[in-house]
Amino acid sequence: MSSPTDSMDITDITDIVTRFFDTARRHPDLIAVRDNDRQVSYAELLDLVRRVAGPLAGPTTPVGVLTSRSVDVVANLLGVLTAGRAYVPIDPTFPAARRGAMLGAAGCGEVIGPTLSDRAPSLDEPVSVTGKTPAYILFTSGSTAAAKPVAIPRTAIAAAVDSLGDLLDVGPGDRVLQFASLNWDTCFEEILPALTRGATLVFDDDAYSGLFPRFLRMVDRQGVTLLDLPTAFWHELVVDLTDDGPRPLPESVRTVVIGGEAARQARFDAWRTLPGAERVRLVNTYGCTETTLVTHAVDLFGPRADPARAGGPIPIGRPLPHVVQVIGDDGELVIGGPALATGYPGLPELTAERFVDRDGGRHFHTRDRVRALPDGVLLHEGRLDDELKVRGIRVSPGEVEAALCAHPGVAAAAVTGHGIGDHTSIVAYVVARPPIRDDLGAELLRHLRATSPAHLVPARVTVVPELAHTASGKLDRRRTHQLHAPQSQPHATETKEAHHVH
Amino acid sequence: MSTDLVVDGMIRTFSRVLRSDDVTPDSDFFELGGDSLLATRVLSAVAREFGPELTIGDLLVAPTPSALAKLIEVELS
Repeated sequence: MSSPTDSMDITDITDIVTRFFDTARRHPDLIAVRDNDRQVSYAELLDLVRRVAGPLAGPTTPVGVLTSRSVDVVANLLGVLTAGRAYVPIDPTFPAARRGAMLGAAGCGEVIGPTLSDRAPSLDEPVSVTGKTPAYILFTSGSTAAAKPVAIPRTAIAAAVDSLGDLLDVGPGDRVLQFASLNWDTCFEEILPALTRGATLVFDDDAYSGLFPRFLRMVDRQGVTLLDLPTAFWHELVVDLTDDGPRPLPESVRTVVIGGEAARQARFDAWRTLPGAERVRLVNTYGCTETTLVTHAVDLFGPRADPARAGGPIPIGRPLPHVVQVIGDDGELVIGGPALATGYPGLPELTAERFVDRDGGRHFHTRDRVRALPDGVLLHEGRLDDELKVRGIRVSPGEVEAALCAHPGVAAAAVTGHGIGDHTSIVAYVVARPPIRDDLGAELLRHLRATSPAHLVPARVTVVPELAHTASGKLDRRRTHQLHAPQSQPHATETKEAHHVH
Repeated sequence: MSTDLVVDGMIRTFSRVLRSDDVTPDSDFFELGGDSLLATRVLSAVAREFGPELTIGDLLVAPTPSALAKLIEVELS
């Protein structure tokens, strides 16, 4: 086992809301956020935030926030934090039952948004909080059909945003594209470094159209300097930029951050041939929801990359300054330091299983296997469990299986990942329970679409006579897939994907 | 340009993106295993080969080669 790396002193960490207030007062006239309808200066955003916070101050329960990509949702997010309460993003497109379960599991006292609720009086100064106060509660995929909440304390988000802002050199003059959905923690990598350092956050509908020529023109038109993209989307961007011979990146871009899953060597090789790529920082990142945004990063290419790295395997990075890193004897990456979640609210056993006291501090077991290279960067070497990454979002096969088995027509289910293009989609195999109906696959997709968020709905459900098991009797998901994967896709039942690019 | 040529072009694009030999004029992109990321490749191909800049929203409304061809013709007219 490796010895733990050093971490910064957590008493140095300034709260994120204090940082935003300081920045807004230092740069009142700079543009803070721009969307398709309007733009607001830092002074105007501060005013909006204080008006959102006013009526929320007092209670300490988390606040559900209905999300959209807009100035208003940013003001609602910062307003909730200013009131000393936790942000719980609620995707309005999720099925009602799922939204209700999320609000219940997070213990939300009320729900606001997506537009501003303009109720006086406004709050002059942020409600004073401790570092342990929850900043946000998000949901990750668990092994049961119920949503699994993760609570992130104020200290954790402050430490991670500090490290990220330094890593990416964010400051006045930067234009940061807000690409991630406000339902996932990746959005904080864009919003918080930008708005605590005087940069402009940009929402633009052309970013989410799925058409790269539009995307690239938008980057150019908006003068975007910093892009934070899911690796799966970056793969497609590289395909598009190189399909008819390499085309240049927009001049304004100086940094492209990727993360969410393994970067493909072929796409990395193609990226390096793009005109202008040598002046753009390409930064790979790694992190878990439970360890707050990003814990590891490395410049893969561009002005700060180690030239010796070009030919080798693609690393996930080295620990950021606030991160304590331990590598277990089995290669498991274990994380300590101030950026740890407080745990899974309402799930003490699960919390105790993954958050463990060792070496005098709390540590999170990532279940990711890694190997350290001589210069300290880590290579990702797979999972210690069957968890999948689907367009950058974690999916536990057990959660989808539990949702399938909740249907009366299903006796057993196995869920795994299937490579399509450069990324992974979910495929499901089910054993039917009598009386057997011909349209079970289609019925299950209807059932899941009504009860589960889109990222937990398989691309395909195949009815099979039996599932494969290991010699010890455990469900063998990969083997089931190998035995039963349809040779020709149309024989299985398919579903439409989420209506947006994540 | 005749509609048939556009339909044929879309069938070739679907086949290449989905790596499938089973694409017909009425095959639904999403039912053949397409998703929002693979859709970007179809949209790029439409823009490159025929000109119109369609979006993911258009593909959801017109997910087959024949429906897409109609949409492209409308855009071109």
